[in-house]
Formats: sequence, structure tokens, C-alpha cells
Amino acid sequence: MKENVIVNQNKTLLFLLVFIMFSFIVTGIAVDGAGTAFNGFIELQFRPARLISDYISEAGIGASLVNAAAVGITALILILIAKVQLSGATFAAIFTMMGFALFGKTPVNILPIIFGVYLAGKLAGKTFSEYLIIALFGTALGPLVSMVTVEMGLSGLSAVAVGTGAGIATGFMLPAIAVSVLHFHQGYSLYNIGLTCGFFALFAASFFRAGGYEFASIMQWHTSESVLLMFMVPVLSVILICVGIFSAGKNSWKDLLAIQKHTGRLPSDFMDLESVGGSLINAGLIGLAGSAYILIIGGDFNGPTIGGLLTIIGFGAFGTHLRNSWPVVVGVIAASLVFGKALTSPGVLLAVIFCTTLAPLAGAFGIVTGLVAGFIHLVLVHQTGSWQGGMNLYNNGFAGGLTATLIVSVIAWYRSRNSGFK
Amino acid sequence: MKRKDLILHLVGEISSFLLEDDPRRLVISLHQEENGLHLCFLDENTHTQEELSRIEQKLNSRKRPELAGYYGSMTGHDMLGASRLNLLGWQVKHCDVSSIGSGIKIDIWLGGDAFQNDQFTIPKKGDE
Repeated sequence: MKENVIVNQNKTLLFLLVFIMFSFIVTGIAVDGAGTAFNGFIELQFRPARLISDYISEAGIGASLVNAAAVGITALILILIAKVQLSGATFAAIFTMMGFALFGKTPVNILPIIFGVYLAGKLAGKTFSEYLIIALFGTALGPLVSMVTVEMGLSGLSAVAVGTGAGIATGFMLPAIAVSVLHFHQGYSLYNIGLTCGFFALFAASFFRAGGYEFASIMQWHTSESVLLMFMVPVLSVILICVGIFSAGKNSWKDLLAIQKHTGRLPSDFMDLESVGGSLINAGLIGLAGSAYILIIGGDFNGPTIGGLLTIIGFGAFGTHLRNSWPVVVGVIAASLVFGKALTSPGVLLAVIFCTTLAPLAGAFGIVTGLVAGFIHLVLVHQTGSWQGGMNLYNNGFAGGLTATLIVSVIAWYRSRNSGFK
Repeated sequence: MKRKDLILHLVGEISSFLLEDDPRRLVISLHQEENGLHLCFLDENTHTQEELSRIEQKLNSRKRPELAGYYGSMTGHDMLGASRLNLLGWQVKHCDVSSIGSGIKIDIWLGGDAFQNDQFTIPKKGDE
């Protein structure tokens, strides 16, 4: 009976994800025409991808959506090859990868990293399924591959070979680091691979700088208004909510409320802990809330912000919900007001979306901890991007991981002050 | 991970769970074989039937290699916050949870593919 439920849930998710990817391709072609969309898609594979490279600004909406779908399809195929059931973690990974394919990931720059993780698994005697999550999220370092290939003055086959080799070496290192840095924050930062990749990118950037390479800053940020971009995430969110209600039936409300009671600490697979339907409703509500926030403050809907919204929608099945997120978001907004930073500026806007990596802190230790975490996060995230040369796309995950480490260290130390013996 | 480390982490996580209720006595028994092992935990706190079912459900949750291989490394290691039995459930072969008098008995079996529970000299349910 339980096996049947899992199979049905897997089918529902598979159908939903294929539908979303197919919709991205159809929309992309409808907007820019097949030729423009696919030419732009090919062009994106060989462009710099470091933060912030908004693909919508560089190649148009059509090419960006096709690229996002291509990256999503790559992830889905890997999940199927690894024979892993679709669940909260894989749902989050696919949405995150598709989101970041609007500003940095391409099939070409992620595959060497995935292969590197696979090789590390071989060496460690692990199956690919055991390292699948690291491989999927580890594609955050795709821009490192692109940078070595197209930004460092190499040309032809040597550029491709060196870039691919750098990606494989990077992926090979990720599992070791990912498991170690998980202990830094004890699962209280959802984007642990953001911390992992940031940690690795610190060393990589230092070596590049030592070799005389100067990281030129990139700021591609699409600002033109587009009805399609504005309503893309809200429409997707409503679809998720409808599928969730259909899937969970009369338990929809109960499951959604039950999700709000979880701390969200890694690994909180809401699809496993509660239900697929409740998780989809939660994900949809997060997407609507995020879109409403950007609309209210007059922020831009572009590659990075839509990518951010897709990411938090994905994590709506794997740790994020409205109850554990709002204190952290308020903390970021408070910090931006205190330090006189505009809410619509790229850094603050992205921090408000991605700070939900710290939601488990609010979920486990309360509102005040969440507020403090959000406040610290904004201050830190403005520095971490330059530290790592913009090669780690999950810059907020990097800053969030460091923030969570600080807060968890203090809480753990405070709690150790008394053993309870008289 | 070496077997000793694995055992330490599993013991740590489940002990952390049982110690949350502050039992006066907690007994941990280990029996090792070449291709598997049996861990048994006994405490003397009263647990409701609902609680026992919930524990058993978490410990026998469906196998999740994609989570066990990565997040499973937190088992018995990162102890700030509530203990998480599902981390164990993804990694172990089988678990039994039963009530013994006023306390609880948790049996956990780990082992490779060739491992058979009945190779162990452990009393089965009903033999006790």
C-alpha cells in the first residue's frame, strides 16, 4: 500500500516537472522564435557566467528559458539514472538548478562538475545516488568552468580541455568539503552546498589571484519590465498549489499546517515528513509571497530574481515555509534600512529572497534568532561575492552558511555552560 | 567510514533521543558479526503506544541513499537541537521497537546485502 503511494507520488512529481520544463521551452520559443531562442541558448554555453550574469539581459527571455529547461532536463535525467525517487531534496535541486540557469548555469559548465563528483564517489566506494544531491547542487561552481574556458585568454581545444579539467577537479573536491562544512552549522543553513562551494572558491580565487589573474566585476541586470517575467512565477505557484490540493485532497490544509510546525533543519523533506500535496501548496505559497514582495517594493523581475524565486519554491519542499522564513527576511530588510541600502538594489533584493537559507534558525531557536541571523546575513553577503570572485553562484548560501555557523557556535557554547549536576 | 565510527554515531544519535526524556537507567548492548551487527537500547521511561509507533516508523523509514550518503553524516554528530531518528532510519537494515514493562526496547540491525537477521543469536519477538 505504502509502496503504491510512493510510486503515485513519484509519477505526479515527474509529470509536474516534465510539464514545467516543457512549458519553459514552449514559452521561450513563443516569445523569441525558435531560431533566436536556440541560437541564444548555444551562445550562452560559451559566455562568462560569474555573478551577476543575467542571461535574460545577455541573450533574451527565450534563450534563458530554453537554457533553464535544458539544465532541468539534465538534472532529471541524472536523478532517473541514479534510480533515486523524486522527493523534497530532488525537487529543490531541480528548481534551484533551473533557477540558476537563468543566471550562470548551463549544461556545458555543469557537466564536468557532476562528473567530478561521480569520480569522487567511485574513489570513496559510494554509489552515484549517495552523492547525487552534492552533484546537483554542486553545479553552483559552473561559472568557474566558464571562466577558465572563456575568460582566461585560452582558445580552441586547449580552453575546453583546461576548463573541463578544472570542473572535474572541482567536482572531485566537493563531497569531502560538503560533509565537513555541514558540521559547521549543523544543518541550520539550507544551502549547505553554497557554503561548500564558497569555501572551495575562496581557495580557487586566491590561486587565480596569486597567478596574476584579476577578476573583472560583472553586473548584467535586466531592468526592462515584462509582463511575462512578472507573472511567470505567480502562475507557476498557482499551478503548484492546484496540483498540491488535487494531490493531498481533504488533507491539504492539515498537511500545510503540519509543515509550518517543522523547524526546517536539514534534512527536512516535507514530502516525506508530511505529503507531496502539502509540500507543493507550501512551495506555491512561498512563490506567491516572494513575487508579491518584489512587486510591492518595485523590484526587477529578471534572471537572478526569478532564479531566486524558483530556488525558494524548490526549498518549499525541503526546509522553507512561511513561518520559519519571515523573521529572517525581516532581519535582512531591517539591516538594509539601518545601513541605508535600497530595497530594490540587486544585492539586497537577492539577499531578501535567498536569506531563507537561514529559516531553520528561526524555526528552531525562535523569532529573535531569525531576526539577528537575517541582519548579519545582509552585512556579510555584500562582502563574500568579491572574496570568491563571483565563481560561486550560491553566494547567499556561502554567507548564510557562515552566519549560521556563527550563531550555532554561540548557542552551542551557551548551552554547554552547565551540565546539570549539583 | 570505519565500522567503529558508524557504531559510535548511531549510538550517539539514539542515546541522545532517549536521554531527552532523562531516564534514570539506559542500557546499550552491542553484538557484532562479520557482515552485520545488532544494537539494543533499553530505558525505563514510560512511552505511549503512539510514541512507540512513531519511533518505529522513523527508524523503519524508506531507504534514502541520496540523503543517507550526505546528510547521514550528521547522525550522532551534530547534537544541537532535537535528535533525528530518520537519519538512522535511512541507514539501518531493520528496527524493532517494543515496550518492556515500564520501559522501551529498541533493536537495530545493520549489515551488508548478505546480512541475515536470523544469523544473530538474538531472541525474536515472542521468544522473550
